[in-house]
Amino acid sequence: MFNRELLKGSTSLVLLQLLNERDMYGYELVKELAKRSEQSLQVKEGTLYPALHKLEKQEYIQCYWQEQEKGPARKYYKITDEGKNVLLEKTKEWQHFVQVMNKVIRRTENDSI
Amino acid sequence: MIQSKREYLEQLNKELRNHPGKQEIIQDYEHHISELMLELSRGQLDEEEVIKQVLVQLGTPAEIAVSWQEELSVTPVKTQWLFIIANLLFFIAGTLLTVIHNMVEWSWVDILWESLTSIPSLIIVMYLIFWALLGYEIGKSFGHGGRNLMQKTFVLSLLPNVVLMNLTLFNIIPHDWFYPLLNQHFIVKCVVFTLLLYPVCWAGYRWGKYESV
Repeated sequence: MFNRELLKGSTSLVLLQLLNERDMYGYELVKELAKRSEQSLQVKEGTLYPALHKLEKQEYIQCYWQEQEKGPARKYYKITDEGKNVLLEKTKEWQHFVQVMNKVIRRTENDSI
Repeated sequence: MIQSKREYLEQLNKELRNHPGKQEIIQDYEHHISELMLELSRGQLDEEEVIKQVLVQLGTPAEIAVSWQEELSVTPVKTQWLFIIANLLFFIAGTLLTVIHNMVEWSWVDILWESLTSIPSLIIVMYLIFWALLGYEIGKSFGHGGRNLMQKTFVLSLLPNVVLMNLTLFNIIPHDWFYPLLNQHFIVKCVVFTLLLYPVCWAGYRWGKYESV
């Protein structure tokens, strides 16, 4: 498990990335995130919906209802074109940040060990 | 202590108070809990045990309500009025200062007037920052969905500026009230900076939008 603040700042990016791969409903997003991160990234599920609502308000995602063969209809979330653009920009920024941090941390490790 | 899905949703309904999207929010959690219960019940747990697990994974209704209140704390209407009122306050403060300086013999007001009129460029730059901030805050809070809000807030906030320009242009406010500011050089500067307001606001919006995720 990671520091909660670290995850808080990247929840939107993670949600956009998952929705960029396919449309998903809320519970599916939580399960997919836990599975993909091997249980390391576990959002408090109650905070998922405010985060999705914010992305919807920002017009980065849209929602729609889909009937199921068994059980009630599910609310699916879909990334918009603008969501894809912002995901691309923020992914580049994130990758650059990780590269820089790796360089800095690696150097520190070498110095101290 | 919550012991069933119904109790959980009733408690959430209570905690959300007058939230405008309450029904839709409760529906989302109802579906989520149903999915979670279905999965957990495969492990032969009774409803009480399942609800305990729901509370761990989902959080309590009170915790959920807090995260929705945070979401509600920034609304388009609140943001719009914040900037319209802030700009209006600049104008009210400026108007009061000008009127008092011209009509009342208060030495501290005269000193303040002379100090401010000696740094017009700095004031204009500070004012441009205000417009950049307007765009930035809207972009950061509302992302791509905030573009119409930004344009509408810009137009409404600009109204006092337009009124003042017209009052001055048609000499309804005597020109000598603005002495020593109102010379040709200053007027040209004002026109140029007024034309810059929208691009500055737009740039702020783009920057805020980038920071919105």
